[in-house]
Amino acid sequence: MVGRLTRVWLLVPFAIAMIVVVPLGVVFTIAVGDASEAWDHRVETRLLDYSLSTLGLAVFVGILALAFGVPTAWRVQTHRFPGRSMLSWALMLPLAVPAYVAAYALTDLFQFSGPVQGWMREHTGRSRSDYWFPDLRTLPGAALILASTLYPYVYLSARVAFASLPRSAMEASRTLGSGPIRTFFFVALPLSRPAIVAGLALVIMETLADFGAVQHCAVDTFATGIYRAWYGMDSQAAAARLSVLLVLGIAAILVTEWALRTRRAHHHNTHRSAPMTPRTLRGIGGWITCAACCIPLFVGFALPGARLLYLAIDRGDRKLASVFDYGLNSLMLGAGSGVIAVVLATCMVATHRASAGHSMGVFKAITRYGYALPGPVLAIGVITALGWGDRTLNDLWASIPGERARLGLVLSGSIIALLVGYQTRFLGIAIPLIDAAYGRINHRLDDAARTLGMSPAGVFAHIHLPNLRAPMFATGLFVFVDVVKELPATLMLRPFNYDTLAVRVYQLASEERLDEAATGALVIVAIGMLPALVLARRLSSKHRTLGAGLHNEEVSA
Amino acid sequence: MISDTCSQGLRISRLTFGYGRSTPIIEDLNIEVAPGTLHTVVGPSGCGKTTLLRLIAGLERARQGKIYVNGRQVAGEQLHLQPEKRNVGFVFQDCALFPHLTAERNVSFGIRGRRRRERRMIASRLLDRFGLTDHTDAMPHTLSGGQLQRVAIARSLARNPTVMLFDEPFCNLEVSQRAAIRRDIFEALKADRIATVLVTHDPDEVNEYEDDRTDLS
Repeated sequence: MVGRLTRVWLLVPFAIAMIVVVPLGVVFTIAVGDASEAWDHRVETRLLDYSLSTLGLAVFVGILALAFGVPTAWRVQTHRFPGRSMLSWALMLPLAVPAYVAAYALTDLFQFSGPVQGWMREHTGRSRSDYWFPDLRTLPGAALILASTLYPYVYLSARVAFASLPRSAMEASRTLGSGPIRTFFFVALPLSRPAIVAGLALVIMETLADFGAVQHCAVDTFATGIYRAWYGMDSQAAAARLSVLLVLGIAAILVTEWALRTRRAHHHNTHRSAPMTPRTLRGIGGWITCAACCIPLFVGFALPGARLLYLAIDRGDRKLASVFDYGLNSLMLGAGSGVIAVVLATCMVATHRASAGHSMGVFKAITRYGYALPGPVLAIGVITALGWGDRTLNDLWASIPGERARLGLVLSGSIIALLVGYQTRFLGIAIPLIDAAYGRINHRLDDAARTLGMSPAGVFAHIHLPNLRAPMFATGLFVFVDVVKELPATLMLRPFNYDTLAVRVYQLASEERLDEAATGALVIVAIGMLPALVLARRLSSKHRTLGAGLHNEEVSA
Repeated sequence: MISDTCSQGLRISRLTFGYGRSTPIIEDLNIEVAPGTLHTVVGPSGCGKTTLLRLIAGLERARQGKIYVNGRQVAGEQLHLQPEKRNVGFVFQDCALFPHLTAERNVSFGIRGRRRRERRMIASRLLDRFGLTDHTDAMPHTLSGGQLQRVAIARSLARNPTVMLFDEPFCNLEVSQRAAIRRDIFEALKADRIATVLVTHDPDEVNEYEDDRTDLS
């Protein structure tokens, strides 16, 4: 029986879901409008290029992310070798490096005038025409950079899957004549496929949403096309149509991932076996494994990190005060968004829990898909929706008798736009994490508290909240860091004359002033390391809440 | 008394095993199981019954002693043949069927060096033998406990093993199913002249088929 108060609360999930639904609906509405010449021009000249390069990039990144993430997860989870305990968390560190930062650092390191080629020429006496060197400012180069920073999603989901593989099935395979390699390919991999595909889907969605790295590597994708249509051609409709195509592509990925996951999900229910015990790799085999596992860590974290550190110490941003100002903006936005996301996510999940029996799961599901929206797409949706809001507010304001100044763009021209945009995207992270934590609080505790005379609000305050503190903090931290790293949405939604660290780094790097950008980039990386380390600690301990939450996030996203 | 010559079937000589540096849970154990006979291993929980099977299968490494399968040494102080090279079938307590494969593909999983069609024929024949003709395309999660057990046994038999190991195979089955499944299994094993080691906490249930017994308590 749902009481009167609860019925009012049923509106909460609906209202929160609108944060995702409205921007997406707006994008679709604009897309069906008149795009005129801008769209025709795009279709004639660039659409095929965008499609091919976006597809090619997604395929390349997917293959490389699998190559980096799956073997390392397998070795770390099921073997003992030198450096394993360090690698088990260190392999997640590339998550701390935004792809655009890695792109700036790695292209600087390996470009013709960079230190690597310079050193080669100096020590071999060869000139430019005498040797070939791979160019990172190409599609394969961009794919390598993106994969080296995004593979931890595959690594993490594969590790969770490998950790739950039933030992008896693996051993049965061995007693049936299969060696370790055949057992891996024919038993472990098929059983872990849904989780790995979920991680891969996340990698591909991040790839499709990426703007900074692909732009720096001169690869034209839908994300860069949307940005150019919006700013370069000043055509909302053309940008919205490109966005719709991108969203449809992402929807196809999500549907495929969902189909694969649900088709396989029931199989795991048959297992009640103990997890596998790690096998020890001795001698040279152990050291080779260690070296091989270090490769993605080296490319995705150590190399860009070391280059940025060198540039920051050697030259760095001469306006350190400005780094502080931009950093403060980032921190304020991150902290504010983190708190708002935790509050909204907790409201959504708590209401859903309290209204058991009501089909409100759909609202929860909708908000989760916000994370799948690329930054440029949600920026168009949010800024247009808030623009309508501004017009309505101004009309209302003008209708009040008396002389007064116009309200102006109080919604779309202020940090409100940024805060709304971040919620549209990052509630997709916050809700699964809070949901996973809530799921671990037994419903009988609620029942026991109610029979002991506690009101629903009392149950929340005295039973739920104390159990949710750590997950809430972790959730806020994840959102905080993602906001600090977020580039395309910030670039398009920020108010005039209001920059964040990510925007500052982007602007400096776009002007080939990487030595100055290095200081800000390094600060972003340092902040980004926080959740990677928290997650690593949780994963290595027995506390699975966060790991499971993130896994759910991957699955849901 | 164990003979010095290596017999057919399974022979275990002075086997000792313990985890880490702790006191051995199996010490100086001698067992001989002739082809077509059933040897039961009994004892309280934690006495090393399952560990003994894992040592025979090669899933654990013996600290001391020797294990021979069909006259060939598979484990010794300097020797540890990997599980896939021992030709020993193992039926796990939870059956350990591969959940992503059908019953037929589970059974044909271990068959090597034959064409797909032949593998399917062998698997179908074995499933037929255990009364699972109508379940060749069934996924494991759709099968009952007794059916899972039969598929697991058919899967091990598909490789023509010299030795079969059973780890409490009847404990997860309903009492009403046990007699029929026991009969099916042991008749098949005796007919194929396979040396069988069975771990059980209830020796009375296999009394009528048992040829020899080791008590690890």
